[in-house]
Amino acid sequence: MDFTLNEEQRMFRNMFRDFAAKEIAPHAEEMDHQETLPPSILQKAANQGFLGATLPEDYFGAALDSVSYAMLIEALASASVSVAMTIASHVSLVAMSILAHGSDAQKEEWLPALAAGEVIGAFALTEPDAGSDAAALQSRAVVQGEEVVLDGVKTWVTNGATAGLFLVFARGAEGVDACLVPRDAPGLSVGYREPTLGLRSVSFNTIYLEGCRVPLANRLGAPGQGWTIAQQAQDRLALAVAAAALGVASSAIDVAAQFATERIQFGVPIGQKQAIQNYIATAVTEVEALRYLLYHAAWQADQEGLDAFDVSVVKVFGARIARSVTNWMLQVLGGYGFMEDYPMARKYRDARTLGIVGGPTELHSFRIAQHVFAGRDLEIAL
Amino acid sequence: MDFTFSPEHTALRRMIREFVEAEVAPIAAELDREHKVPYEVMRKLGEIGLLGVCFPQKYGGMGAGETGYCILMEELGKVCTSTATNVGAHIGIGAMVIHLDGTPEQKEKYLTPLSRGQKIAAFGLTESNAGSDAANIRTRAVREGDSWILDGGKVYITNGGYADIITVMAVTDPALGARGGVTAFIVETDWPGFSVAREEDKMGIRGTSTAELVFEELRVPHENVLGKVGEGFVSFMKSLDMGRLTLGAACLGGAQAALDWSVRWAKRRRLFGAELAHKQSVQWMIANMATEVEALRSLVYRVAWMVDTGQPFTQLAAMCKMYGSEVASRAIDMALQIHGGLGLTRDYPIERAFRDARIAEIFEGTNEIQRIVIATNIFREHGVRIRP
Amino acid sequence: MRIVVVLGRVLDPAGIVVNARAGRVFVNREEYLLQPADRCALEAALRVKDELGAEVVALPRSPLPDDDVLRQALALGVDRAIYLTGEGLRQADDAAMVRALKAAIERLGGADLLLTGATTLDSGQTQLGPRLAEALGWPQVTAGWSLKVADGRAQVVRQQGSQYVLVEAMLPAVVTLQPGSLKLRYPDGARLVNIYKNVGEIAQALETWDAVELVGEPLTPLVEGRGRDFPPPRERGARAAGSAAEMAQAAAAALRQRVGR
Repeated sequence: MDFTLNEEQRMFRNMFRDFAAKEIAPHAEEMDHQETLPPSILQKAANQGFLGATLPEDYFGAALDSVSYAMLIEALASASVSVAMTIASHVSLVAMSILAHGSDAQKEEWLPALAAGEVIGAFALTEPDAGSDAAALQSRAVVQGEEVVLDGVKTWVTNGATAGLFLVFARGAEGVDACLVPRDAPGLSVGYREPTLGLRSVSFNTIYLEGCRVPLANRLGAPGQGWTIAQQAQDRLALAVAAAALGVASSAIDVAAQFATERIQFGVPIGQKQAIQNYIATAVTEVEALRYLLYHAAWQADQEGLDAFDVSVVKVFGARIARSVTNWMLQVLGGYGFMEDYPMARKYRDARTLGIVGGPTELHSFRIAQHVFAGRDLEIAL
Repeated sequence: MDFTFSPEHTALRRMIREFVEAEVAPIAAELDREHKVPYEVMRKLGEIGLLGVCFPQKYGGMGAGETGYCILMEELGKVCTSTATNVGAHIGIGAMVIHLDGTPEQKEKYLTPLSRGQKIAAFGLTESNAGSDAANIRTRAVREGDSWILDGGKVYITNGGYADIITVMAVTDPALGARGGVTAFIVETDWPGFSVAREEDKMGIRGTSTAELVFEELRVPHENVLGKVGEGFVSFMKSLDMGRLTLGAACLGGAQAALDWSVRWAKRRRLFGAELAHKQSVQWMIANMATEVEALRSLVYRVAWMVDTGQPFTQLAAMCKMYGSEVASRAIDMALQIHGGLGLTRDYPIERAFRDARIAEIFEGTNEIQRIVIATNIFREHGVRIRP
Repeated sequence: MRIVVVLGRVLDPAGIVVNARAGRVFVNREEYLLQPADRCALEAALRVKDELGAEVVALPRSPLPDDDVLRQALALGVDRAIYLTGEGLRQADDAAMVRALKAAIERLGGADLLLTGATTLDSGQTQLGPRLAEALGWPQVTAGWSLKVADGRAQVVRQQGSQYVLVEAMLPAVVTLQPGSLKLRYPDGARLVNIYKNVGEIAQALETWDAVELVGEPLTPLVEGRGRDFPPPRERGARAAGSAAEMAQAAAAALRQRVGR
């Protein structure tokens, strides 16, 4: 088993880290406190190819493999989990869905613009009464001649405020349909932005579809294929969430370890205290485990592809480690960890969201159990 | 062993609950959002005697003991951690030192208005080089005739930005250090030489003032020395012990609130064809939360009883703070998970409680210090002396 | 000046669940509140005391198994509270209670103003104030929203139809107040601790009197309770159609049939 990165991957990793350190880290605190994400930062990311990270070069993407993509999200999240999740949602949920399921015309129309960052993608699945539960989806898609008419309300739409393209899921005649809805489509309005605990630079919006009309040609994939498209998109995102978890956790350890060498109490740096050593040792162990779990999953995604089981294992573990590590590294910082002019509080808040964003941990645990019991011929229900 | 609350404590709880629901609950979100201190609520609490809940009636208090104070903190903690923190800093560490070690004249002059909420108190110990290592303070007090001149500063002082009276720890003999070299002073914040340098921007308890204080040739009359010169550390240790117990009570309230919210949400929210209450993942979380809350409740009120009956309680108070803060953190974390997206939005109180809870494991002595206190006490009983 | 306030307690509705289908009331948490309207009457009394100076005495509205409500009143600021006991008092209804209260007031040496709640939260009855006024021979103003005392008069704002009117009554008078009419004060902490611990001056302010002894004869109730039941299930009505005149005819016919005439 060869665990080394190839030369290209090593080069990418350095490039991603440099970018994060130079272009994102200096602005991370301000972005979080102002709850903004300056378009200039996204544009710089687009110029590097990040907004088309895994798209093929034909569509002006950077054609990164999954391992490199995971490293990108990890590096971005080390500086700002908000930036990482903005880009990951754009790439994994929207752009890659079009790549996987779009017609040639759809790919031509949207992928170059998405890769260039001219259009930001938003994913509109969740509804007030339907989070993880497909059967509860109430938005409707009715075919009328050469158009699809969409009606419904979508909540927690990532990138809602800035998106030029919405991937909307609604119930059609044959099941759930997926539709590409440009921002200027008649009948689409973007509403309330959710103020959040973490990921404060990400815009989560409620959008309203009121007799929203798009050409039939904007339907993505076959009628009734929408739920599969949504599931696959979320599985891709789950991997990105785990990468973000790795980034926030490992950067939290860096901050805490540095602090522990500088903070003197009782005449010595607190790094000399066994309790502090234990917190750091546990955190490092957890992060190492996550690192290899994540990169193995990413590598596997490029080999045979990932199934629900692999994705869920990585996501559950990632969310747990992000939470645990940021919590204990905050404790190492003591009072400073609670102040918003140090980075730890922000990392702590951002990390907490990762157990819910991309599907709550409990749902993923169920999928893991489902896989285990299916292998023993027992079908389990939620 | 009679585990029931006395009639006066039962009546007190009822009174406090009514007050908290009418006066505190409606403003809790606003305090956090606007970063405001609950001045009005503090005044009203003072008017009905609650800011002196554990102080003698002779000095404007209620005489309801430490148990009464725990009840107040628990009920406040259920609804607004920020308000509980303002109250705790005022009663539990600010005014408490005057109650424990003040002369009758000092109590008459300071404790009475503090009990009635006419003046607000804070406790000035922490400095940038002296957090957990409290003995490392540098603020200096030099005798000059019938006064002392204070120079130095304090950081992270709760209520510091608006308190009228601050009990300040200063070094009176650098050679002696903590044992014999630190003195407690009652400082009035409108005296020349006292200033507030800045307010901290905190992740949680944003309805509190956490201030940096500066003392520049601050003249304090000798009659404002609290306790004996050089014995400040002893005074402050005693009041910190009591503060730990009541912080545990506030955490109890927070944990109970997290449990109540979770049960209510689990009853209402339907997912995959049934209410969350029917999912074992949720049932397990709620059962665990409820068990910890009960254990904490028993611990807190038992220790309150020990204080009220004059028994030693240092080790147990440290346990209340340590266990209480961790129970509250676990409970609100589970509540957040149960609420899903609703737990992440600032339009709902869960995420505020999540941010608020985090400080409890850090201030009033980090949980690391609490564990040192507990272990030290245990080993001392076995003849082993531990140094931090 | 002496003001008598008549107070009662009610089971906290938040602690009970009524299941009409099962025909049962589940008391999950047995906690009692001061009747909300009586609490407003008490607040009104204390405001008069604050403004003009008065002695405020609390009496029970109905037979009480314990004196908690009176202790609450003392904590809130009344000067005296009288707990009534006596043989057979437990069965007393409003009519019987009024006789006990009248006797208690006489024993106090009379009063200038009697305040109580206009209505009870549980039974929704409004008769106690008027019954007391009749028994005492005093004028009554009921369902007030505010009270002011000046120049030997009670000035009460009450709602009449869609208007508010100011009614004046010469003292002594009975005034009843609506629930939610006044912003309520909180008890004084030290008074509360002391009355519940039974220490200090305030402990002397709570007395127990034998109501039967006061009245001099048994307090036989006027009304005998024979049982409790849930109201019968509501039946569906019938629909009438057609012009207004036709609908009116049909409705009248249906009602006649129902009532059996």
